[in-house]
Amino acid sequence: MKNIIKLAIMALLLSMPAFAFKQNDIESGMKSKIDKVLVVLKKKESNTQKGQQIISVMDPVFDYNLMSKLSLGSNTWSSLSPNQQKEFMKLFVAKLKQSYIDKLDLYHNQIVVYKGVKPYQNGRLQLQTELSGKGETYKINYNFYNNNGNWLIYDVVLDGVSIVQTYRQQFAGILKEKNFDQLLVQLKTKK
Amino acid sequence: MDKLYIVVIAFFLNFSFADNNITFSSCKTLDSNETCKDDILPPDTNSSNFEEEFGDTNKSATFDPFEKYNRVMTSFNDKLYVNVLDPVARGYSNTVPEGGRVAVSNFIKNIYYPVRFSNNVLQFKFKNATKETGRFIVNSTFGILGFFDPAKTNLGWEESNEDFGQTLGFYGLPEGPHIVWPFIGPSNLRDTFGIVGDTYLNPLSNTKYHSINYKIPQNRLQEAGIYSYEKLNQTSLHLGEYESIKKDAIDLYPFLRDAYTQNRIEKIKE
Repeated sequence: MKNIIKLAIMALLLSMPAFAFKQNDIESGMKSKIDKVLVVLKKKESNTQKGQQIISVMDPVFDYNLMSKLSLGSNTWSSLSPNQQKEFMKLFVAKLKQSYIDKLDLYHNQIVVYKGVKPYQNGRLQLQTELSGKGETYKINYNFYNNNGNWLIYDVVLDGVSIVQTYRQQFAGILKEKNFDQLLVQLKTKK
Repeated sequence: MDKLYIVVIAFFLNFSFADNNITFSSCKTLDSNETCKDDILPPDTNSSNFEEEFGDTNKSATFDPFEKYNRVMTSFNDKLYVNVLDPVARGYSNTVPEGGRVAVSNFIKNIYYPVRFSNNVLQFKFKNATKETGRFIVNSTFGILGFFDPAKTNLGWEESNEDFGQTLGFYGLPEGPHIVWPFIGPSNLRDTFGIVGDTYLNPLSNTKYHSINYKIPQNRLQEAGIYSYEKLNQTSLHLGEYESIKKDAIDLYPFLRDAYTQNRIEKIKE
């Protein structure tokens, strides 16, 4: 009897959808996630609380590892020791999340319009959305790549501005004059 | 009781199979949909593929002959925003309700019609140029001199923002070096020519002897006054945005420079 329960639980766990999306679920999956985010945004809680809830909704679809690596550039990344990579990733991901939480104040009941999933560079895919409010409309595009059948986000593009690209340029600029440890310090102190 | 568990297991196993089936069949029916063409794309964890997308980190940041000046001007503009524009705009937004400020913004946007129209025509975007004319007529009349935007809210005619910098980019003129202007902010050589071109067309500027007859300001002082008010009104509708964006920067100048450059590339592509 006990074994059967165990089996049932295992079957349940195995049949749970993977965290990341299958190719055809990108739009519907993101839609349900963004809907959850909008519900959280409308709650009357502090930004930190809301931010934590939103991040826990969105976390599974982001490949933070790859984002960190791309922001630093593959050459720099591979020249680092595993410990340095870990340290950088920790700081960089914290910064990404913090900057996301800081943006919550800017949300004023805009609506999200889904423009569909379009083919992007090298067989990757881009989910195009628009945030439309009283005044301007902002384009928010999520870039996905195929990680063994699971599609994960490796970049977010706001009105044509790629988050990874802007960090990449900044890091490259800093590393021209300073060494990696100084970059870590700068990443730590600039909040 | 045992049967029940088996049913439960069967249900979940079945569920996951069924899920797969749906995935496949839905794709086959959508053959024309580009995203579905190759259902099983090879996984690309190979980072060299990505390096192509983001470009060489060594090359891209080098061409910036005015960097020193630009950095100084960026911090001048930053201080101007934080210490003058932002507090004044906050005071203004506490006095004038949002509806009024949106109306002012609509009114000014409507006056910019010749700029948008000409640049749409210059880029052969005749459909958008026609729509802009329709917007101008509807908003100037039913929208009470442009204070309201019934063309967008009632008819769904979105505005198509095109400026002369985008037109020059459309014709293939490279952006040239990045230049940060006082009060105006990030720009580049091409977009600076663009600003000059648009100023000539803009009814809210004063170009002295070469002016088109519809110019509103009669002298430089009036022009500066209108520009400052426009900027103030605009800032009051976007309070907190600059501060929030600024927090993303590890180094403010290159951050703003690259964000500007990428945003302009996107706008020219549109």
